Amino acid sequence: MQTNMSSQAKSGRSINDAFASHFAKSVFLTIVGLAVLTFIGTRMFTHIDLNLYGYMVGTIVFIGGFFYRFIAWGERPPTKNIIKKGLKLLFRRNTAKTAFNHLAIFDFIRNRGVYRWIQHILIGWGCVLACLVTFPLVFGWMYFTMEENGYYTIVLFGMNVMKVNAEGVIAFFSYNALNIAAVMVIAGVCMALYRRLKNMQARAEQTFIYDFLPLYMLLFVSITGLLLTFMNIVMHGHGQPIMSLIHQFSVIVTLIYLPFGKLAHIPFRPMSVLARNYREHYGEQSMKECKVCGDKFVSIEQSNDVIQVLGINDIEFEMKEGFHLAELCLPCRRKYRISRFSGFPTHQIKVKEANQNAKG
Amino acid sequence: MKKRLYLELENCIGCRSCLAACTQCGGHEQRNRNYVYDVNPFVNRQTMPLMCLHCVNPACARSCPAQAIQIHETGAVLSALVEKCIGCQNCTIACPYGIPKFDTEQNLMYKCDMCIDRSKDGIPPMCASVCPSNTIQWLSDEEIEAKQRQFNLNNGKWVTSMPYLEGETNVKVNLPGILQGVTKLF
Ligand code: SF4
Ligand code: SF4
Repeated sequence: MQTNMSSQAKSGRSINDAFASHFAKSVFLTIVGLAVLTFIGTRMFTHIDLNLYGYMVGTIVFIGGFFYRFIAWGERPPTKNIIKKGLKLLFRRNTAKTAFNHLAIFDFIRNRGVYRWIQHILIGWGCVLACLVTFPLVFGWMYFTMEENGYYTIVLFGMNVMKVNAEGVIAFFSYNALNIAAVMVIAGVCMALYRRLKNMQARAEQTFIYDFLPLYMLLFVSITGLLLTFMNIVMHGHGQPIMSLIHQFSVIVTLIYLPFGKLAHIPFRPMSVLARNYREHYGEQSMKECKVCGDKFVSIEQSNDVIQVLGINDIEFEMKEGFHLAELCLPCRRKYRISRFSGFPTHQIKVKEANQNAKG
Repeated sequence: MKKRLYLELENCIGCRSCLAACTQCGGHEQRNRNYVYDVNPFVNRQTMPLMCLHCVNPACARSCPAQAIQIHETGAVLSALVEKCIGCQNCTIACPYGIPKFDTEQNLMYKCDMCIDRSKDGIPPMCASVCPSNTIQWLSDEEIEAKQRQFNLNNGKWVTSMPYLEGETNVKVNLPGILQGVTKLF
């Protein structure tokens, strides 16, 4: 991501000239990165699990799709502003805390509703857990070797990390990580489906393809995954090869679909950390004073950015009183509009706006 | 028949029924998204409602980095999609009328969505359903034209939106009495 945000290539001989576009370069670098990691991880391609190569292809298509979406999106002027400035501020002291709150414990979702928070924790962390196990296995970054003595060695990036007892707790969690993840995701998806079927508001707004399809896909992935385990243990591997294919298919389709549907909000969520940094940093630097009442209501930077973005869209809110509407605080801007309707300068009257909250 | 929101601002009696009704719309989670202002609070009791006018070229959506503000096929400019909004508050700064509200705790913007679950099926939004003074109405374009004839405002003072607003809007605004100096009967 870093690379594609780096400033425009200087004209002349730069490595960037080798690529058709920023997009091409980013995809290229990502795939090279994956290949290098895989090369190291598999001890020079000696430990590749070829059963898993379908996933590899799926992942690479996913990366293409993701970059395509991300770049199409990052080209929009407001998005570009936040990404560029947000990335520059990435090393602020608060980044870790914000990232933890936004990306690990989803505190803002808890404030939106506990039910949906639990659902997000289950699905989110279930998926993360599954990815943490699956991808290293697929690309050979992690694998297990078994020796005679009943101990497994976990090999991470070609290094023996630890020996675990094949009967022990760690081993149990390692084999069953995917099953645990599947159960979490199934529970979360069921909660989401229940809400979508029962909650009148959700029912009024949802559409089948956009809101249900991702849920059914997650369910499909988790259930076929669990069935694999079931077939291994209970049916002694009977039917396992075919189920394995079905499971692979489900994962690949989900991966390819991910950047294009509702699930795209997962890879794009880190933007909220950038946005928070942007607001905090420029807010500390200098605040804009409302041109009418003098209240500080937003950072000067953001006010200017918004004015510039609107300008690109041919939206000019320059008033004959000599201010841009984005330079008024919200109550003054509303009162100014009332004054335009009524012909009376409501915004000039020094009185706090009446209570606008219906709950009193 | 497609209907749209139509405001006759001067009819407002300041009862704030529209605010209360707004809280009851599905998905609004008990919080109102519209406003009622005193025009000249120290002198008289004239009030006027203010709400999202559902711009044809909405500044809020254009300034949103996350494309969280979608435009419905009916022309309604929707509230931020909960999964997309990243909480940057650009939209609150961009809107020429200061409409979008922001919840810091939830890191989420919310604004008038024209009660889309109702209006997409032709049912008037909550505010229009309850307004007792005919300030907020739900009319077809023909009816709005009929209004124009009824008030006989061929003096160029028919304020349906342009040029008194910053851009073309889907909600039509009018002030027939004040501009004509006419006392209305209701
Ligand atoms: S009035 Fe403001 S909030 Fe409503 S559509 Fe226009 S810019 Fe967006
Ligand atoms: S606060 Fe949310 S809806 Fe508003 S501009 Fe930012 S991301 Fe878009």
